[in-house]
Amino acid sequence: MTRTVLIAGAGGVGKTTVAAAAAVSAARAGLRTLVVTVDPARRLASALGLGNLGDEPQPHEDEPLLWAAMLDASASWRAVAERHAQPEVAARLVDNEFFAAASEHFPASQSYAAADQAATFVQARAWDLVVVDTPPSAGGIDFFAAPAQMADLVGGRLLRWITGGSLPGRRFFYDRAARPVLRLADSVLGSDLLSRVAEFLVDLRTTYDGVTQRGREIERVIGGASILVVTTAEPAPVAEAVRFFRELPGIATRPAAVVFNRSLPISWVDPKIPSGAPAELVANAERWGAETVRQADVRAGFAARYGARVATLPWSPLAPTDLEGLARLIDDAEGLPSDLFER
Amino acid sequence: MLDKRLVVVSGKGGVGKSAVTAGLALLAQRNGLRVLAVETGAPGGLSAHFGTGPLGFKEREIAPGLHALHVVRSEALLEYLSLQLRLPGMGRFGAVARAFDALATAAPAVREIITIGKILWEVREDRWDLVLADAPPTGQIGSYLRAPASITELVPTGRIREQAEWMRAILADEATTGTLIVTIPEELPTTETKETLAWLQSKALVPEPLVVANRVLPEIESDATIPGPVGEMAELHRSVWSQQRFWLSELPPAIELPYMFGLFTPSEVAAQMADHLERLA
Repeated sequence: MTRTVLIAGAGGVGKTTVAAAAAVSAARAGLRTLVVTVDPARRLASALGLGNLGDEPQPHEDEPLLWAAMLDASASWRAVAERHAQPEVAARLVDNEFFAAASEHFPASQSYAAADQAATFVQARAWDLVVVDTPPSAGGIDFFAAPAQMADLVGGRLLRWITGGSLPGRRFFYDRAARPVLRLADSVLGSDLLSRVAEFLVDLRTTYDGVTQRGREIERVIGGASILVVTTAEPAPVAEAVRFFRELPGIATRPAAVVFNRSLPISWVDPKIPSGAPAELVANAERWGAETVRQADVRAGFAARYGARVATLPWSPLAPTDLEGLARLIDDAEGLPSDLFER
Repeated sequence: MLDKRLVVVSGKGGVGKSAVTAGLALLAQRNGLRVLAVETGAPGGLSAHFGTGPLGFKEREIAPGLHALHVVRSEALLEYLSLQLRLPGMGRFGAVARAFDALATAAPAVREIITIGKILWEVREDRWDLVLADAPPTGQIGSYLRAPASITELVPTGRIREQAEWMRAILADEATTGTLIVTIPEELPTTETKETLAWLQSKALVPEPLVVANRVLPEIESDATIPGPVGEMAELHRSVWSQQRFWLSELPPAIELPYMFGLFTPSEVAAQMADHLERLA
């Protein structure tokens, strides 16, 4: 049985570091562990043994039970086309001028690709634990809606909108009914934009059955995963963390914990000022003391309002960039549901 | 920045871009300017800093002289179709509006032109001394700023193209438009800021941006080490400070805004931001 842990939350809060640290810690506790990361900082990637690009899991040279893989989210649409469309349609899709724009405009496609690849690793049953870092731009709650949104998109919602018909997807209807209307609209706008987009969507529609079926498998994997929401005490990431408790879709489980990264030690509230401490350091202690109070207040408010398990990771000025540093981060954490990363 | 007609504020997610936008808006309002602040991202990102409820597509006066609106894409689309493309009588479910909405997901630059077009339309209409846009994050800002130019490449003639042409001119005009890239002095935001600056420079779509470094710690001159929490705080501070100085040295000279210790609410942060900006001006 492969356990899955999803590391979610707003961008810029240290998700990738937390995912890497959890994986190192689990590997050291005797679990065969794979960490799947998206776009790690260079030094973190090399700490994980990810020297060269490639989405195949690579065993770590110095950590016997640790594997790492890096997702290439930009390849997502290409993968969908190649897996689920007829070869000649796939070739036409990949070459289409709208293809790149659609993947850029549709962040769900990146999440879908990330979830798809992660699900493949989980289904391989080669690891005791798969730790999945979510994409920076879509690591929030929207990650969980991605398979459904993707199916909706290729399923022809846009195509219906563009053709106005209730039975789209068949070239016959498109040619006879919709195309003349689009031509008319295009002539007003001064281009053949709408017609070209519709052609593209008709091709995309052929991937629907494959995408829906795979989407259900992906949702099953997500549904079986434990979720750790990472945040800092800043208002924007906290607001994203809140969504995991107020709007979480039915397919996902309630987060196992909310991890407040960059937490200051509670002993900094109202510290004893040693006699003879320089005035500058006393003033500094007042500032950081106030910040510690604010952070503690945010955490306590979160725990009380949402009944969430709250964990803390200390503020380390230098993000850990080697195995020792990563393992230490988990050792220094408080309140983590450590059973997730132990045998 | 306050003598421009349009200021576009971008930055990596989580660096305080909306707080800086709100601070600038408050400062401009204090100086007696008629200001429009435009929220483009998730609803509430900017309005939280004004301490107001959710914003609508129609601008609302949230303080004397300070108006704010949220760009709702479906409404911006209808406005774009009726005011700019002069396709009248576009019902919400009109065939062309529906087709356009689909187009906006699948075609390059169309979605962006609708959002940036709304902002530039407000500048062109001349109702405001200053339009401040809390723009999309740096990861996406390129496709927004490039949208008018992309459209002129994609569409050879017609009304969409005509609209794109004046938009392009407003964005590029040094007297009219200013750009701020907000960052914090850490590795990933610095890297992203440098990439964005290089890209913007190579495309010359907007005048040269100013960089704003947020959450900068003051220097502690004392090097005393003492035991206990007071010493620990000094140690963390010095260590973060020296990291910050390194990342600041990687950037072009930046306007520095201080770390705001112990502030709870977004509107407290925005008010303080305005005070700091005023002192810098």
